[in-house]
Amino acid sequence: MDGKMKQDKMWVTMGPQHPFSHGLWTLRVEVDGEIITDAEPEVGYLHRGWEKECEQRDYQKIIPMADRLCYSASMTWSHLFCKVAEEALDIEVPERAQYLRVVADEICRLQSHLMWLAAVGTDVGNLTIFLWALREREFMLDLNVRLCGQRLTTNYPRIGGVRNDMPYYFERDCLRGIERFEKALWDILQLTDESSIFVGRMKGLGYITRKDVANLGITGPAMRGCGVDYDVRRDDPYDAYGELDFEVPVLKEGDAYSRYMIRIEEMFQSCKIIKQAMKKLESIPKTAPYRLKVPKCIPEGTHVAKMEDPRGESLMYLISDGTDQPYRLKVRSPVFVNVSASKHMVKGVRIADIPAIMAMIDMCLGETDR
Amino acid sequence: MAMEYLDKYPKKFRGTGVIKPFAATFKLMVKTVLPGRRSVCIMYPYEKEWVPDNYRGRPGLRFDRCVGCGICVRACPTTCIELVEVDDGQGNMVKKPQVNIGRCMMCGYCAEYCPVDAMTTTTDYELAEFTRQGMIYDPRRLNFDYTTDMMEVHIEEHLMSNLEKGITDQPTAFFNTDRPVLNGDKCISCSKCAKVCPVNAIEMVVVGQNDKGKDIKHPKIDDKACISCSNCIIDCPKDALKMNEVL
Repeated sequence: MDGKMKQDKMWVTMGPQHPFSHGLWTLRVEVDGEIITDAEPEVGYLHRGWEKECEQRDYQKIIPMADRLCYSASMTWSHLFCKVAEEALDIEVPERAQYLRVVADEICRLQSHLMWLAAVGTDVGNLTIFLWALREREFMLDLNVRLCGQRLTTNYPRIGGVRNDMPYYFERDCLRGIERFEKALWDILQLTDESSIFVGRMKGLGYITRKDVANLGITGPAMRGCGVDYDVRRDDPYDAYGELDFEVPVLKEGDAYSRYMIRIEEMFQSCKIIKQAMKKLESIPKTAPYRLKVPKCIPEGTHVAKMEDPRGESLMYLISDGTDQPYRLKVRSPVFVNVSASKHMVKGVRIADIPAIMAMIDMCLGETDR
Repeated sequence: MAMEYLDKYPKKFRGTGVIKPFAATFKLMVKTVLPGRRSVCIMYPYEKEWVPDNYRGRPGLRFDRCVGCGICVRACPTTCIELVEVDDGQGNMVKKPQVNIGRCMMCGYCAEYCPVDAMTTTTDYELAEFTRQGMIYDPRRLNFDYTTDMMEVHIEEHLMSNLEKGITDQPTAFFNTDRPVLNGDKCISCSKCAKVCPVNAIEMVVVGQNDKGKDIKHPKIDDKACISCSNCIIDCPKDALKMNEVL
């Protein structure tokens, strides 16, 4: 011995019960001192056989089940299921229903991003952000209650339209709420963007390259934070998104801070979309159809539909066999793919930086493990 | 690589300050204690948040309206509803739905599919009980005292064939259009369908006589009374009845 203590590398298990992991998942990291040299995500603790369960349900009954895939993006998941069923039946949804779905989708995106912002606040140790973000989210949930009848599990879209038309005064409530929210978001930015502590926790950490993004199949804000200009809403428009005017934020940096900026800008863009959709809904007569009667059974075939989830690109693949129940329903969850990049993101950073970097994935275990 | 909104934010402030976040928090604190401003929190068990009438709480039942057709049982994704026999107050035993609230996912399908608007959604969301047995709501207990018309959920579907013709003002629902049709060759005149029909829409009529001189009876369905519950189709021993979906 020459007086120096030889230290070997060591595997540290973070999770499944850990303050940084929002849900049940494990991040095993190999540390050299405090520097991380390797990492391995482990998911599957919340597997409940969702896809298999769908094979024993009528198509209508899967809609409320799809809500339960992710509690904060419930509307987009049930919307996606309705979309793949409509693709199979080859029907086009009435115009009014398309705009109502857009409004519900964007409210869902807003509340999902606010939930993420609240989680980021706790992860970097700022509880005021958590409280402010959840306060604003409460207004989005109130809008959900007015429109769909429930706060989280909306069960709003139906195959061939939506469940109900706008209730009285929803237009007024929604526009007021959105305008109020835009002001409040600037206030929240005072806490986050102007704080050197908050920005310092994220800037320059958790880099991924464009090459990794392409190879790993990362989508959503993590992809757009690396300079890839792609958004399903704009590039492959579904429902009424083709007629709405909005911008897709893109940044080149590829670090955790750019992913944060993308999500904040997306919230502003969502407000813009809701305002436009509301204006358009005014011009469509209130007696216009918003729901079509569809057959119970879906003809034989394979169908696929994709959508822009708050977390990335979600996809459903349906094999129907001519009965009223699907033969197979496959879900492509954006988080399941994005979390595989955690190995590339955390390499070279310190252990204390992991929560801030992993918060930018916006983990949701319900859809990851299904 | 431009940001439409965030670029409006002065870049010199970004990630530089320590005082500004404190000032923002302090500003809100002063705002909150000023008179006339509503606080964000409410004292929950004593104060409750207002919920609109279209809120989907636990299912409710209007006992007198229910015909016991069982559509809600078949529409329920979690199979938490079952039909039980209860006394209707006049000495008759009738079939009404009983809901296991512990399993209910509050999707509102039972209220949506109910053809007679007996099932409703309610604004009742405080459903904690001490025992599992207490979670089971029998037909009498399902009644919600403050039921309003807003708690009914209506299906307003449009037929695709109507939209092609340009008719956009005739919303309908499956229980107005879909009717069972009979395949006369398969029917064995057992009259089971007439017995299970909850609204007595089926009448057995004589259509002829067989070789032994006995009457051949076929069901005749009253289109106005039928609620397309498909009980007759499920109970038919020879699969002679089939639902005709109007699209």
